[in-house]
Amino acid sequence: MTRKRIEITTGFVQADYNFWVGKYMDKFYDGLESKQVLGNRCPTCNRVFVPPRKVCGNCFKTIDLSNNWVKLKDTGTLRNFTTTRIAVSEAGKKKTSEAIPIGMVQFDGSDTSVVYPLLDVQEKDLTIGLKVQVVWNDELKGHPRDIKGFRMLKGGER
Amino acid sequence: MNKVGIVGYYQVPPALDHNMGRYELIFQAVRGALDNVGLKHKDVTSVVSATNDYYDGRTISNCFTVEAGGGYMKDETKVEMDGAFAVHYGMLRALTGHHKLVLVWGGSMSSCYPYSSSTLLSTDPTFERPLELINDMTAGAFQMRAYMNHFNVSAEDIAQVAVKNRRNATSNELALPESQLPAATTEMILKADVLSSPVTELMYSHPCDGAACIILAPEQQALKIRDDPVWITGVGYSQEAYYLGDRDLTQSQSMKNAAQMAYKMAGVKDPKKETDVAEVFEHFAHEEMIFSEALGFCKPGEGASLSTEIGGELPINPSGGAMSGNTPCATGMIRLIEAAKQIHGDASEHQVKDVHRVVASGQIGLCAQNNILFVLERGGRK
Repeated sequence: MTRKRIEITTGFVQADYNFWVGKYMDKFYDGLESKQVLGNRCPTCNRVFVPPRKVCGNCFKTIDLSNNWVKLKDTGTLRNFTTTRIAVSEAGKKKTSEAIPIGMVQFDGSDTSVVYPLLDVQEKDLTIGLKVQVVWNDELKGHPRDIKGFRMLKGGER
Repeated sequence: MNKVGIVGYYQVPPALDHNMGRYELIFQAVRGALDNVGLKHKDVTSVVSATNDYYDGRTISNCFTVEAGGGYMKDETKVEMDGAFAVHYGMLRALTGHHKLVLVWGGSMSSCYPYSSSTLLSTDPTFERPLELINDMTAGAFQMRAYMNHFNVSAEDIAQVAVKNRRNATSNELALPESQLPAATTEMILKADVLSSPVTELMYSHPCDGAACIILAPEQQALKIRDDPVWITGVGYSQEAYYLGDRDLTQSQSMKNAAQMAYKMAGVKDPKKETDVAEVFEHFAHEEMIFSEALGFCKPGEGASLSTEIGGELPINPSGGAMSGNTPCATGMIRLIEAAKQIHGDASEHQVKDVHRVVASGQIGLCAQNNILFVLERGGRK
């Protein structure tokens, strides 16, 4: 049996797709553009979500768009972290030369965590519970990348 | 309630890169299951498959599998999840009283698509996906660290699960050859290449090519086909929150919920005492421990204390589990096949003695967002 491979490497399942972010995320992204992280509070269970939600899954109640917004500080707590040299994109994965730590960060005043790069720090210096602060990108576009990542706060620094 | 029996099954040996097309893999699984019990394609009344549009590179992936999968001109549908969920769908069809023989199959060829990218594509398309940080490996790493940190579990304890499963895989003739490590040690597992710290390559159930098939029949019909069908006596499933940051990764609440439902249905009161074997879909070594706790085999955080090797107090994954070959869309179904083999005494080198009841699980989603648990029991005429 011959063992020939036909590989189609480009274009095969490539298609443009638009996501309408919805009114809640629209407000959230607008917030990022002015360096303001916004969460919203479920009026029933009082959990504060980042990113904001229309529906609290636990209570199965709509969180009204016109209120329940919570302006959060740019500080938080490191809840989890990992380091990888494997960069996964929509097209595949590749090895990277640098191991970049990423973390799950819970913004102060919120009840959920978001995943972002941890900047200027090595894995050996990370522990769960560290205080962190947002590092904003120089250019703000109303995009998740407006938050470049989080930096570690030194003892007592706020 | 009427029971549904597993009357036949077949697993195509997994490979990292099969020299077969999808049609051939699927046909081998389906034909093999029918031939194993001497059934004909015309006996089949309903077909349920588990495939994925992304994995197959074709929208409505069951549109092209209809011939090879036995669904041509039959009652036919698809589940875009793990194969274990398709088995549940097939079971419901058998319970309607209108279907005498239901064929359920699942499979994919991971050699043809970037598996980890498919997991990135499951994240929030505008908030998480552009950052390209969350995928199966980084999510699994968060889960492992959350579990270790919360319960003070060591990486060595977790590596021990990989040692057991990779050793067990050596006695499983249908295990992926590359997954087998007869002389595995915890050191070897811990020193393997890091995928995403603290998860190493050998703690990970590597995606591969393969397919599997299970044939189901309602009680009366099952007993006409064979004297010893394996009965599905309980099933439960549950799903957790979408965002990783909303979830408690130290445990599996969805598996707990699934187990509660399945045990209640099967009348299982003390799962540790009343279960002879567990075959769980562990995407990572640590997930097996998290699941064994959710299944009520031990207290939270004490998964490491359970003796789970073949011949131990409660053997878990005597086949090597998903670590012995993770075929997306078939992995959970293969756990069910392994469970049935254990009950039939057909598990050859990895057979556990005197097996009457087995629990088997499937999962899908980052950090096992969605879990399904089956209770399977030895059948036979009363």
